[in-house]
Amino acid sequence: MKVEFTAAQDALRKELRSYFEQLMTPELSAECDEAMGEGGGPLWREALRQMGKDGWIGVGWPKELGGRGMSPIEQFIFVEEVMRAGYPFPFLTTESVGPQLAEFGNESQKRDIVPKILAGECLIAIGYSEPGAGTDLASLKTSAVKDGDEWVINGQKMWTSLAHFCDYVWLACRTDPDAAKPHKGISMFMVPTSDPGWSCSPVVTLGGVRTNATFYDNIRVPADAMVGELNGGWKLITSQLNRERLSLVNFGPTAEMFNNVVRWAQQMEMPAGGKLIDEPWVQINLAKVRAGVEALKLVCYKQAWAMSEGKLEMADASAAKVYGSEFFIEVYRLLGEIIGQASLINRKTEGANAMASRIERLYRTASIITFGGGTNEIQRDIISAAGLWMPRATR
Amino acid sequence: MDFGFSEQQRDVQNLARQILGDNVSPESLAQYDGYKADRFDKALWDKLAEAGLLGLAVAEEYGGMGFGFFELALLIEEAGRSIAPVPLSAHLVSAALPIQQFGSAAQKQRYLPGVASGQIMLSAALTEPYNEDPAQPILTTATADGTGLRISGNKTAVPFAHLADRIVLSAKMGDGVVVVLLDPKAAGLSMTPMQVTTYEPQFALSLDNVSIAAEDILASADSGREVMQWLTERTSVALCAHQLGASDKAMRMTASYTAERKQFGVLISTFQAVGHRAANCFIDVECLRLNTYQAVSRLDGGLDASNEVHIAKIWAGDVGHRVSYAAQHLHGGTGIDRDYPLWRYCTWLRYNEMSLGSSAKNLASLGKRIAAGEAFCR
Repeated sequence: MKVEFTAAQDALRKELRSYFEQLMTPELSAECDEAMGEGGGPLWREALRQMGKDGWIGVGWPKELGGRGMSPIEQFIFVEEVMRAGYPFPFLTTESVGPQLAEFGNESQKRDIVPKILAGECLIAIGYSEPGAGTDLASLKTSAVKDGDEWVINGQKMWTSLAHFCDYVWLACRTDPDAAKPHKGISMFMVPTSDPGWSCSPVVTLGGVRTNATFYDNIRVPADAMVGELNGGWKLITSQLNRERLSLVNFGPTAEMFNNVVRWAQQMEMPAGGKLIDEPWVQINLAKVRAGVEALKLVCYKQAWAMSEGKLEMADASAAKVYGSEFFIEVYRLLGEIIGQASLINRKTEGANAMASRIERLYRTASIITFGGGTNEIQRDIISAAGLWMPRATR
Repeated sequence: MDFGFSEQQRDVQNLARQILGDNVSPESLAQYDGYKADRFDKALWDKLAEAGLLGLAVAEEYGGMGFGFFELALLIEEAGRSIAPVPLSAHLVSAALPIQQFGSAAQKQRYLPGVASGQIMLSAALTEPYNEDPAQPILTTATADGTGLRISGNKTAVPFAHLADRIVLSAKMGDGVVVVLLDPKAAGLSMTPMQVTTYEPQFALSLDNVSIAAEDILASADSGREVMQWLTERTSVALCAHQLGASDKAMRMTASYTAERKQFGVLISTFQAVGHRAANCFIDVECLRLNTYQAVSRLDGGLDASNEVHIAKIWAGDVGHRVSYAAQHLHGGTGIDRDYPLWRYCTWLRYNEMSLGSSAKNLASLGKRIAAGEAFCR
């Protein structure tokens, strides 16, 4: 065991850090801020294509798929750095659905969609939840019915984030209403958002971030729009979620924010003399964040390593998700306390401090991932069952 | 970056787990409860020596296996898992490692072969009453006496002082700190047995003008502080490794218990309130594991680990406390029943939490380093 980076990994991180210093122009940063940290604007798209051209999006992908052939650890280092730079990286597309398509997709998906993902030219939203199917995802009702060589899709999805600027929805549909167990009658489809039967309406959230309700009205897709096997969708959903969980709790942005708050507190003069950072309570808050970030970093790296060894454990993926999502909320509180009332000031206020207003926004958005990506109660169920072999209640 | 164990590390783990698993049981531990007998299993000590485990990190030229700090930490983790009645941390980490690192050729020749064979037992006097910084002794002072020293003062909570052949001990000398290898039979030294929460044999030492020969000085006044910092860092991490083994075991004991215990006609593990509390322990133990291994890995690789050791000890304190309490609570009355093995783990989790700096103290130290710009996230 060697927990430190290799010299090559250190060098890669350095290279990426200076790459993103160049890439993140003030104009791009401003556009990303305007988009509430979710991207989608023209400069954002241009930058994504640039990353694709420069071979970064697939740095850890196999060469035969168009990647650079490094491991998931290098891939994670890339994602850490891009997120650290403040670029809203479309990790659902590149880090979770993309690898699923590469592994389980058919020839046309591998030929037509995967290269576009690595080129930064294809974006995919995730269509799982419905008005009546959240945590109990297997009860979903959106249907796909075979008609000749095509499938006809009807239904409604909720919380289809990013869908308003995505090219496809990775859509979970019921293909066998009579399956013995509900999760055995679900299949996955790649549904183009350009179809006339597709529509979406915005849902505005507490954090200011837009998500969507999406509607599927008699959408006809060819047979090869299905991913994996008929009625074999559940396995794809769970393994996609395991991958998503790691990206959700990437520690890069938090590490960067910690460093920025430390530098700020080192400069801030106290009314009675001395600096803010000399205050014992400030040091304790910072130390709590620092110790927590270190654990998150190691949890993430261990999973990136486990992925490169092909042995990502379900309990570990869930543990990372629970720990990271709950820790973020704690971080925004602890750092917000140091900044004080300035951390309540929206960035639209004239003269607002960018770092403080970022915390104002993040504190509002933080609760999303304790239930998004699989609610933490379910994650804890998974941990006690898969990690500690504790029998759980039947549902 | 590699989170997998090497074959050598697996061998150490398996061997330690096997010997400790075969020789330590609730029944064998019960004989030491309440200080009925010295909490020391000589037969187990000899078996560990025979298997080469006491000499894991001792250089081959002194009869050891010449492995690194990582392998040693894995042994300590297993000692925590079984809460074995042998002083591995004091003997191997606090005493043998600094002798090997800083000792003279004669000192190494004199002590290390016996360390590995188990014929010599070493210990360390790290703390003084109400002074828990091993590198800053206040109550214990040294003065020059020819080529040797005279030392007077007090140390507290010295494990196995009555069985040790030498005790690593620091004393203030002028502006510096000396480190010596104290003979427990030296004239002027008296020891008083203490009763501590774990039932480990520990002693208060009182030194009255004790004479130390030149050959027993491990570090002179200009280098002693660094030697003590060096060994304190490693001893702190050893406490984390012990905590990791003990908390992992307490958690798994709890998982098994809840998977057997029925109430309202069903297993209590099927209640989400129970499963979720155990899941929190799982996350906690994983965080402790990774932070401990990181600190061990850096020290093993000769890298600076100042921040990482503080962070590991913060986690060791918090996780030990939380797992101990959750394990007790989920066991109900069984957890506090002295005929069930959990309670012993709880006393050790508390011991590891409080020794060489609690979470609060380490948070404060880390906070100072952050303020000084020494602990940015890389």
